[in-house]
Amino acid sequence: MTDTDVSRVRMTGISKRYGALQSLDNASLNLMPGEVLGLVGDNGAGKSTISKVLSGAVIPDAGTIEIDGRPVSFTSPAEARAARIEMVYQDLALCDTIDVAGNLFLGREPKRRIAGVPMLDKKTMHERARDMLSNLGIVIPDTRMKVENLSGGQRQSIAIGRAASFNPSVLIMDEPTAALAVAEVEAVLELIRTVSKRGVSVILITHRLQDLFLVCDRIQVMYEGRNVAERRIEDTNIEDVVNLIVGRKFTARSAGHNHQERGAPA
Amino acid sequence: MSSEPNAYSSHPPRLRDATILDKVVANGGVMSIALFFIVCCLFFAVTTDAFLTAPNLLNIIRQSAPLLIVAAAMTFVITTGGIDLSVGSVLALTATLSAAALQAGVPWPLAILLMLALGGVVGLVQGYFIAYERIPAFIVTLAGLSVIRGFALLITGGYSIPIEPTSPFVTIGRAWVLGIPAPALIAIVVLIVAYIAFNETHFGRYVTGVGANAEATRRAGVNTRRIILWVYILSGTASAAAGVILSARLGSGSSNAGQGFELDVIAAVVLGGTSLFGGRGSLVGTILGALTVAVLANGLILSHLSPFFTPIVTGFIILVAIWLNFRLFKDGARGR
Ligand SMILES: Nc1ncnc2c1ncn2[C@@H]1O[C@H](COP(=O)(O)OP(=O)(O)O)[C@@H](O)[C@H]1O
Ligand SMILES: [Mg+2]
Repeated sequence: MTDTDVSRVRMTGISKRYGALQSLDNASLNLMPGEVLGLVGDNGAGKSTISKVLSGAVIPDAGTIEIDGRPVSFTSPAEARAARIEMVYQDLALCDTIDVAGNLFLGREPKRRIAGVPMLDKKTMHERARDMLSNLGIVIPDTRMKVENLSGGQRQSIAIGRAASFNPSVLIMDEPTAALAVAEVEAVLELIRTVSKRGVSVILITHRLQDLFLVCDRIQVMYEGRNVAERRIEDTNIEDVVNLIVGRKFTARSAGHNHQERGAPA
Repeated sequence: MSSEPNAYSSHPPRLRDATILDKVVANGGVMSIALFFIVCCLFFAVTTDAFLTAPNLLNIIRQSAPLLIVAAAMTFVITTGGIDLSVGSVLALTATLSAAALQAGVPWPLAILLMLALGGVVGLVQGYFIAYERIPAFIVTLAGLSVIRGFALLITGGYSIPIEPTSPFVTIGRAWVLGIPAPALIAIVVLIVAYIAFNETHFGRYVTGVGANAEATRRAGVNTRRIILWVYILSGTASAAAGVILSARLGSGSSNAGQGFELDVIAAVVLGGTSLFGGRGSLVGTILGALTVAVLANGLILSHLSPFFTPIVTGFIILVAIWLNFRLFKDGARGR
């Protein structure tokens, strides 16, 4: 059907300037349904900015966004959420002193009425939290634990679980594994696979290039606010991606074969 | 080596430990204040004859009602990471104005409603500057402390205004219901409502959320500014209620009432284990903290020490409580 041909997300000609700094310069991004796109680039390349544009947190100076073929323009994260776009923020997502279920349901806690007065329905909240987590394969012994007592990986899983529970069609993750111990990364990657199998399109921003090759279908490289290259995962390797990121031929010590030419700027 | 192959199996027990630790940290403040409260009571029971008598204990409960009521509201304020230094001044203003209103012939139920509304409006104004203009709560309410007491002094010219002893108004401060002083009954009702609001409602949850991570709470779709505005409306209204009760009990409204009251209130809340960094509050702790402050004031007087010892002792206790508070919660605040 035509459904499969229409991009879930099509961003074209996106520009954003902060003072003298052109953070995004005619950047674009394309994402198919159920696809996992790896977004890479040096620090300051504009990865976070373009994903914030998509999540409604940043309003671009120019450019168009289409969701499932329909043009949209978001002026707030709430509007992006209504279009079923969710973003997992690295540090700002959770309340440490609130328990796991409370964080999953923050801002939309189930209600029950006692003598007409609306109260938190904690029992329902914990039951539904347990279901939500087990559906995603997230292992947390007790939904009454405060988030501050969880490991970094568990916290990240809760943040992703919360985003996934909004039933998004696009899930953006900005460096979800940056602060994690090696053993915890695998759980988060598994979670990304689980989510994408359900048809959710995922944008994964990461500096851990080896992760890209475990979960991504395609990689997009950014450099100083522009897209510089795009590769299907099966057509590339880590050295190639490193070269694309730094913008020159990187003669790695282990390089034993010819490198591909750097992709032409888009 | 031996721990490596089964890294996952080591997780559950570690987390169980964390849960127990979690409970101790969560209740550590409450447990230590309960212990401290009992020690204080025992100390005064042994060293004075009068402390452990029914009339004295009822007197303590009656006198501590304003403290309990305002400390309950202050628990919400401090849990958002804020502070309200103006509570003593609002108490003085509403105490004098309720006496003045009664003298002017305003019916007593209307006088009470007017005072509560006034307290709410004072909270609304201060809350507006804190929540919407982003001026630090400490500054806004420090200015409020000065301005509002100034109004109270201006209205009375520094004198106290008497209340007709036959007015039904004074029963609020003096009546006994089922063997319990009326102010204590009011305090108990307020505390129960506050406990439920804090622990069982969406509002209480968002108060904690604002203190723990205001940005995350805002992104979750909560109107965090309105939550902040409301906690100051609550503390203003509670201070007004305290002013009404105090003037009713004393039978007069004095513009000098409640000097240093804000320190007692903050001491009660912090002693009770509510974190000054926000995000962590306990109403049970606050009740114990307020009763401890009240017992200390009472016991020091009964010990025939100079009454001027009370502020010295209270000050030291505040210092120690805040010191412990910082030590206990500093790590928790890191995540913000
Ligand atoms: N709110 C902002 N104000 C000013 N400059 C910003 C802001 N956000 C991002 N920038 C700048 O835009 C550039 C791109 O940033 P960002 O998108 O965060 O890069 P990346 O996530 O790829 O590291 C950086 O140079 C950064 O300093
Ligand atoms: Mg970034």
